[in-house]
Amino acid sequence: MLVLTHFATTALLYGVACGLFFYVLARGHEGVGKRAFPVLIAGVLSHGVYVTFDAIGDETPPMADIHQTLTVLSLGIVLAFLVATWRKPGMAILGAFVTPVVLVFFLASGLGRSVGHVPAGVRSALLPIHIVVNILGIAAFALAFAASIAYVVQERLLKQKRLGGIFQRLPPLHVLDTFGLRATSVGVPLLTFSIISGVLIAVRSQPGLARLGATQFFAIVAWLLFAGVLLLRVAAGWRGRRAAIGTILGFACAMAVLIGYVARAGGGA
Amino acid sequence: MGDELVVVGLSHHTAPLALREQLTVHPERLAEQLGQLVGNGLVADGVIVSTCNRVEIYGTASDTQEAAERVRVFLEKRVEGSEFAGTIGRAVYARRGEAAVRHTFRVAASLDSLVVGEPQILGQVKEAYDAATTAGTVGTLLGRAFTRAFAVAKRVRSETEIAAGTVSVSSVASSLARKIFGDLRGRRVILHGAGEMGEAAAKALAGDDAALTVINRSPEKAERVAAECGGRAASYVELLSELHRADVVITSTSAQSYVLTTELMRGVAKARRGRPLFLIDIAVPRDVDPRVGDLENVFLYDVDDLQQVAQENLAQRKRAAEAAERIVETEVAEFEAWRRSLELTPTIVAMRQRYQAIVKAEIERTLPRLGDLTPKQKKALDKMAGAMVNKLLHAPMTELKGANGTSEGPILVAAAQRLFGATGGGEDQSRPSLEPERFIAPEKTKA
Repeated sequence: MLVLTHFATTALLYGVACGLFFYVLARGHEGVGKRAFPVLIAGVLSHGVYVTFDAIGDETPPMADIHQTLTVLSLGIVLAFLVATWRKPGMAILGAFVTPVVLVFFLASGLGRSVGHVPAGVRSALLPIHIVVNILGIAAFALAFAASIAYVVQERLLKQKRLGGIFQRLPPLHVLDTFGLRATSVGVPLLTFSIISGVLIAVRSQPGLARLGATQFFAIVAWLLFAGVLLLRVAAGWRGRRAAIGTILGFACAMAVLIGYVARAGGGA
Repeated sequence: MGDELVVVGLSHHTAPLALREQLTVHPERLAEQLGQLVGNGLVADGVIVSTCNRVEIYGTASDTQEAAERVRVFLEKRVEGSEFAGTIGRAVYARRGEAAVRHTFRVAASLDSLVVGEPQILGQVKEAYDAATTAGTVGTLLGRAFTRAFAVAKRVRSETEIAAGTVSVSSVASSLARKIFGDLRGRRVILHGAGEMGEAAAKALAGDDAALTVINRSPEKAERVAAECGGRAASYVELLSELHRADVVITSTSAQSYVLTTELMRGVAKARRGRPLFLIDIAVPRDVDPRVGDLENVFLYDVDDLQQVAQENLAQRKRAAEAAERIVETEVAEFEAWRRSLELTPTIVAMRQRYQAIVKAEIERTLPRLGDLTPKQKKALDKMAGAMVNKLLHAPMTELKGANGTSEGPILVAAAQRLFGATGGGEDQSRPSLEPERFIAPEKTKA
């Protein structure tokens, strides 16, 4: 009951923060904007309590199953957002794009509850590292995704010469592009390690397995897209809209991977 | 009747620049001028706001009409011997009481500015207030008016879009460039051709520390404009190579056909490998083929686009100003309620003191006849006397407080003063004691 209360409280706080960020983006109101961050931080605290109680209740470490992994992932994304926008008031509006992702992951973690415990054969010392690195990598990509969405919106408004409220409130294109590049540069090495460690775990647990599952396929596609975007940015001077769309597609694939995990876990319950 | 706020001055609404220049008070002379105003009793306390668009004297007085006239004469003396001698009356305005409070709030919130929503005025008003505080010429009422004005300005800026967008073509160009590139420091800007508007836009960008290159068919003209705008001149043959390196291009040539064609700019965009390019076409007829705007990472704005943005921003500020005026009205009403409560306080304090004095005197006269009372009995008597004063005053005080701020208020205050003999004065009644009145002196404790 206590765990359920904290889940509902956290979801409510994230929902309110998301609404406040959207209100600021659409209507502009510094006073409301200043309230969004305390609400988000309250959500993080409630989230921390929820993760702790949940782990104690299950008598398992956090991230032992899919729902716990998703909830820690959503917490990781919020923390990454708070760290990345610390003392950067101009970037705070990205909360309008980050908080919906957080909310989706967090609510999905509730749906996947009590299913998807990691099979005993897959458990290994490498697994927690694989999961933590994976979460950090996806959190970095979530930030790159938010910056890319903002970039595409801002670029569209600039091209269409619609320079009203939303255009005024979003950060400059160059700032969004640089933010996206930095987040991708952090995310690619992390996801690379995650893919390699994931393959090692899979080979150890199921030697002789020759075929790729859908989730592994999407993980590799997501990694290829992110690594490709980074490579094109660095080597071919890709920037702006193309890089932003590549990042958005990459993150969509990463989300498909997680949905694949949840579906598989649900099917196995 | 207590003190009220008064503002006397002139601004861009009423006075030409030459007259404003005559009356401008240099920051170094503010203390001296404030000393003259308050020292000579023109106003009880004062603040001087002197900017390029306004010279205003804010003060308080019990008779604001007389104070306004004294300040007007003071200003008149300052232009004696100039071309404006004897004519200043037409330019000087006076706001008194509630109108003065409203004016103070509107000035700080930039609603009375030449460009509504401009941010500098708040800083200038704060500096004026700080100077007056240092000179010791700010009292309770004036201090409260200014601190509330700062809060109102902050509210207006955060709750409305009064400061959103820019309202001139050159500043729109500069603002758009910042929205693409963020910081413009070190960004390369090309001014291609000449023209007043193009030069203004180039100056605005160069003012943001962008590196300006002026290209013109006439090298002499390029040199002259470059010197004026703080950039360097380049020859016309360098145009293509400069386009490859530039971040912003302002073009305003007198060519009769497109100078920057789609084919040319497609090649330029390719060579730039996705680096954004902001093209500002101020020429009429246009220099840049409109289809160039469809190229990836190329942002093309012509003079109509920029003017439209400027007009939309202006319209947006006007809409925001309406919302801001509503905020100001709410704040003025709150301030006036507070000020009127100041007028009421001395009467309430005097009433209470008078009743307490009567009860105390009667108790002191009766106490010897009651014989030896125990401390407990004395305490009960003391409590009873206090309760009687409170209950007797409850109804008149409730009525007075309820009428505060209404047309009935001053009549009731005057009636209370006559009926209760509570005219105020004597002791300091602006700070009534919070200690409960003791009607019976406590017994001395043994050493």
